[in-house]
Amino acid sequence: MSVEIFQGQLGQAFSSPDPAVQQAANNANQYTEMFKQGQLSKDEYMQAMADIATSARINQSMNDMSNLETLNSAITGLINLASLVG
Amino acid sequence: MKKLLLVISIMLSGCAVVDAYLMTHYDPNEYKLVTDIRAEAQIYKSQCDDFATSKTNAIKLANNTNLFVLYSEHIPHNDQLISASQDLHAIAKGLVDQYSESDKVSTGFCKIKFASIESNADIIQKTIAGRPR
Repeated sequence: MSVEIFQGQLGQAFSSPDPAVQQAANNANQYTEMFKQGQLSKDEYMQAMADIATSARINQSMNDMSNLETLNSAITGLINLASLVG
Repeated sequence: MKKLLLVISIMLSGCAVVDAYLMTHYDPNEYKLVTDIRAEAQIYKSQCDDFATSKTNAIKLANNTNLFVLYSEHIPHNDQLISASQDLHAIAKGLVDQYSESDKVSTGFCKIKFASIESNADIIQKTIAGRPR
């Protein structure tokens, strides 16, 4: 497998409807180019790429929390409505 | 009213619904901590050309992400934020480790790390702002 093949796979991720996936693919591509041009050392490149996965995890946690917030708002609203009914 | 209460009781039996109902409310201290982290990362990103300053900045920021972890970790029903704060700290600590292990940290890497902390802190900040009040 060559760098070009993996970069080709990143190209497919650019067309994802999820902006977070697009951003991750864009970052991965940028870091790979920087590594190829000697602007990042091997350790730096590996850490920067691992951070993309960490960022995806943060994104997922915050999406889950956001969904719970919406649900909380609906439940609280329903309970408030119930308390108003005679 | 009985029907409505019945619907609510059935809904409350679901695990996610219980989590949602009990979820931690907005905490201004938590919001302030993550806002400070975001603001610092934004400033530090532009100081990456100076090795000594960047090293000091990386340590300061990692201390603040650690404070965020410690503040959040014992708040009940706060699983997602605990996990996100730990991940954010891991990103910040990675830069400190790099400065500790090497006397040659590239400007590009420094900028990537601070930018990553800034954008992740932004996402966390938005979510904290949306918590029930």
